Amino acid sequence: MPDSAPLVRIEGLHKSYGGVVKVLQGLDIEMKAGDRVVVIGPSGGGKSTLLRVLMGLEKIDSGSVSFAGKSYISADGGRTAIDAKVRRSIGMVFQHYTLFPHLSVLGNLVLAPMKVRGEKRAAAEERAMALLTRFGLAQKARSYPAQLSGGQKQRVAIARALMLDPKLMLFDEVTSALDPELVAEVEQVILQLAQQQMPMVIVTHDMWFARNIASRVIFCAGGVVVEDGPPEQVLGSPKGERTREFIERVFHIRH
Amino acid sequence: MTYSFDFASVFRNLGPLWDGLLVTIQLTVAANAIGLTLGFALALLVMSRWAAIRLPVMLFIEFFRCTPAIIQIVWFFYCVPMLFNVFLGSVTMGILALGLNLAAFNAEAYRASIQAVPREQLDAGVALGLGPFQRILHIVLPSAVRNSVPVLLTNGIGTFQQSALVAIVAVQDLMYQGKTLATQTYRPIETFTVVALVYFAVSFPVSQVVGYLERRREALAS
Repeated sequence: MPDSAPLVRIEGLHKSYGGVVKVLQGLDIEMKAGDRVVVIGPSGGGKSTLLRVLMGLEKIDSGSVSFAGKSYISADGGRTAIDAKVRRSIGMVFQHYTLFPHLSVLGNLVLAPMKVRGEKRAAAEERAMALLTRFGLAQKARSYPAQLSGGQKQRVAIARALMLDPKLMLFDEVTSALDPELVAEVEQVILQLAQQQMPMVIVTHDMWFARNIASRVIFCAGGVVVEDGPPEQVLGSPKGERTREFIERVFHIRH
Repeated sequence: MTYSFDFASVFRNLGPLWDGLLVTIQLTVAANAIGLTLGFALALLVMSRWAAIRLPVMLFIEFFRCTPAIIQIVWFFYCVPMLFNVFLGSVTMGILALGLNLAAFNAEAYRASIQAVPREQLDAGVALGLGPFQRILHIVLPSAVRNSVPVLLTNGIGTFQQSALVAIVAVQDLMYQGKTLATQTYRPIETFTVVALVYFAVSFPVSQVVGYLERRREALAS
């Protein structure tokens, strides 16, 4: 891949539900390999849908998405073509309910490596233990999801996604469902990944976190990109009226 | 009350009751084997996106759920042989009637637990690169089966009790032997009391196990 080629290129992305509810209305985004993009914006503005499209979980109406120069999602006459092989380079963590309750923490981590890549259990468990140790969860390896706190569950979910060596991580409001005192431990893990130059796209309502982790902030509203720039600019001195209004409302506690 | 109980005549004839219990257990175990496997297949079919598959299966399930079991059994014993010219022996026919009935109820239990698996878990499966079949096998099935165990056990023990209905078509189960004994000894109260206690002695421990499993599942629900 030449240095100039973007890691992710989204072109003319349109998505609606039944042609009526238009969620994404012509999104164009290019993301470089070093980018840590935080997407902010009002509810219903298409942030989560964008992430779900990137993960190949949603059909699209038109447009295309390419990863490392390869097109992997395209709309083709009402059908959405998704290249499952390219998709495997992308990992995603969701808001909640995503650990498999019948498997232990270790079982959750090794399932996909064993079934998708055909990795041996012993090898997968060794890698899993290394990851869990790194995230301070080694003692929880044999626990079941029901025995974990919300913060621990999300850290396990992140570790599980990392087991497949993703080249891009998507985080969809991963701390929104957590009690406030558990948010930091999860954000800490994501910051740790950021330090290792993991490319990521994050949807969050936590502006402190956005400011600390983003190399770039995109303000999405009404299904289009309203503002796009470095965090100091978008969060600090937004150009657009809508962005300013949104930022003021989110930060209103401090005013 | 002037009635004097005399259980001696019942206890002298425990042999036939024991034989009857064995037939009842045979009916229950075989009907459950049908109910657990066919019920699962029916649950998958009734969730099919093709109406041509879904509707006939739905009709089958609702027929068994919405008519009295006793009519199903009588119908099976008298109408099936006449209409289709097959008769398989009374115990086999009893097993089939009870098994199909149980399959219909179990199908609903399976369907409910399959649909209770959170959508997000399947999304996570996609994000982890698992294919459609792998998602069913490794995510949906284990959760669904675990969630449906208490209902399946309850249905299964219900079939144990319902199997008493086959006595009216002369299958020699526990109920049939009880009826025979009652007529022979002129001691219906004592006989049916003992028969009831036998049914209770088998059902009660199972219902306790169901209660335990449900409490455990609630404690483990995440």
